[in-house]
Amino acid sequence: MRSGELLSSAIRYATVMCVPSVFLAVVGLSACKTTPPAADRQGQLIAKGRDLFFNETFAGNGRTCGTCHPAENNFTIDPAFIATLPKDNPLFVAEFNPDLKENFENPALMREFGLILENLDGFDDLKNQFVMRGVPHTLGLRTSVNSPGGPRTGWSGDGAPGDGSLRSFAVGAVIQHFTKTLNRVPDVDFRLPTGEELDALEAIQLSLGRQQDLALPLRLRGTVPKRGQEIFLDNTLGKCNRCHVNAGATANFGGGSLGNANFNTGVEDLPDQPARLTGKVVPRDDGFRTPGDGTFNVPPLVEAADTGPFFHNNAIETIEGAVAFYDGEAFNKSPAGRALAAADPRGVGIELDGTQIVAVAAFLRVINVLENIRQSIMLLEASLAASSSEEKRRLLQAARRETEDSTRVLEGGGLHPDAVAHLQEARRLAEKAVRRVFFSRKHTEEAIREQKKARALLVE
Amino acid sequence: MTVGKFVVGVVGMSALLWGGPLAASAHEMTERYIPVGQSPGLSGKYTVIGKIQTTNARDQTVAIVGTTRSWSAKVTEKTKIWLDRSKLRLTNLKGTFSDLRPGATVEVKPEGHLRGVFSGPAEWIKVQISASP
Ligand code: HEC
Ligand code: HEC
Repeated sequence: MRSGELLSSAIRYATVMCVPSVFLAVVGLSACKTTPPAADRQGQLIAKGRDLFFNETFAGNGRTCGTCHPAENNFTIDPAFIATLPKDNPLFVAEFNPDLKENFENPALMREFGLILENLDGFDDLKNQFVMRGVPHTLGLRTSVNSPGGPRTGWSGDGAPGDGSLRSFAVGAVIQHFTKTLNRVPDVDFRLPTGEELDALEAIQLSLGRQQDLALPLRLRGTVPKRGQEIFLDNTLGKCNRCHVNAGATANFGGGSLGNANFNTGVEDLPDQPARLTGKVVPRDDGFRTPGDGTFNVPPLVEAADTGPFFHNNAIETIEGAVAFYDGEAFNKSPAGRALAAADPRGVGIELDGTQIVAVAAFLRVINVLENIRQSIMLLEASLAASSSEEKRRLLQAARRETEDSTRVLEGGGLHPDAVAHLQEARRLAEKAVRRVFFSRKHTEEAIREQKKARALLVE
Repeated sequence: MTVGKFVVGVVGMSALLWGGPLAASAHEMTERYIPVGQSPGLSGKYTVIGKIQTTNARDQTVAIVGTTRSWSAKVTEKTKIWLDRSKLRLTNLKGTFSDLRPGATVEVKPEGHLRGVFSGPAEWIKVQISASP
């Protein structure tokens, strides 16, 4: 799911773009010969946004957007990824910058659970007033921000200052995460992004990952994932599709789309939340607005299986556990759980048994892998058109990582060993294509074929 | 499930759980550190920037004369007042009604929409401080 890398390469070949959407341009890469100015401008904007996202520190503490949303880890961070970073990585500024030692981050909770400190309820009482949240990936944002009530960004939907839009989000991120001191004075502790920079950052973010929702049901081949899909879509059983329509981030209760809505699903009421077990102070997160109404924003699920831990507080490590949450007390006693029960002829919210929980998780694993395969193929194809060897290498490596995710996600659920074998072969071929000067094209083409074989085993 | 029950469920759901169609979704907290006139997507479009002409402590209202229009802002319990000291290279502070003095340059974000309205409650007011108080 690192289409950012893919897109930036497409931009370098902007001369071959022929449709306004850069995303489509990648698909049409080889077919087009001319360059309409609109696509070119969009391509340049995305390229600029990419550079800002991964390299611009906004004269702050050294962090970039990519510090917490790295392309090499599906635009999010988790404890395993954090453990690979050197001690002087700016993610850890609170550990080595004396000005940020207190009340900026909680290094222990960051390292053990991937949690980031945010002052969503204000900056007046830094010691006591904060929330600890996981880092969401920034994939599929084109499908997961809009609602009739306005744009919804961040776990509670109110992450951006100004007009609350995705474009404005970067300003809040700089103030919260990039500052050199807790004074947070513009042009002293950081500089605010300019209007042009906000445009470019918005463009790159909108270009990442899926550009549209799936159309479920898919004609899945695996027995268990197929049943999982049925349960997911069944409004009397799994009820997932009420809030995650087509495994995306919009809700629909039968009266039309509610867009990227907010719900109180009771995640804050989970017992034994890992961060709280440490005995460290983790104030209750009251969600949307200040004072909060307890609601959180629906995240998309296609990208979920390889971007855990799950929920706003990283409370659950595995995708099976995340599905099982809906069978528990915390959910069923929440306002959302009670509303579902009230609308149910049998008066139940969501009740799933062990087999069903695993089936729904298997479905979420498979749709994640299908998205990874889609990305891998696009990256491999783009690498064939790459002009510089450096560019080609980057794309192939991105495809390789994506393929490793696919393998891990399937293996983690004991799913489709036959497809895993093809994916492992695809990974090996991509690796070979990186190393070899000769036959690189041949290996890449073979890798694409292996990806397609794997896909054919997952879905008709 | 009957249609009636379903509708009740949905209505209950949206009333209970949904942010509401007109709820602003902006995160007001980092807003505090954004200098007057620089709020992304808001400044100049959905805010009034101007000078305070008069204040009325009893009604908790402030009359502002902007470059393009005037506005009478009502300060409510929910209104946030911030002292924008960025010109002094100092951290921004929380303010109170008494910081709203005639002559001061302010930016006001009305609750809801500006369109066609000339008075109403303010969501936030930023007061520009340009010399040491
Ligand atoms: C220190 C880590 C960190 C840095 C640096 C960071 N973010 Fe984030 N990002 C987060 C966290 C934590 C959240 C969840 C915020 C919330 O719930 O309000 C988030 C959420 C987001 C979201 C919302 C995604 C969604 O699904 O709604 C976007 C967009 C985003 N970040 C973009 C950026 C941009 C652009 C930058 C650089 C200007 C940036 N981030 C820098 C940690 C970070
Ligand atoms: C009432 C609406 C609603 C229903 C029904 C619902 N969800 Fe969710 N889902 C949410 C919200 C809101 C969140 C974010 C909650 C939070 O982080 O506090 C979420 C988060 C998730 C996550 C975590 C994603 C991530 O990236 O961290 C998964 C996985 C998930 N839901 C799966 C499901 C499944 C499977 C079902 C059906 C069994 C389901 N959901 C039913 C609203 C809903």
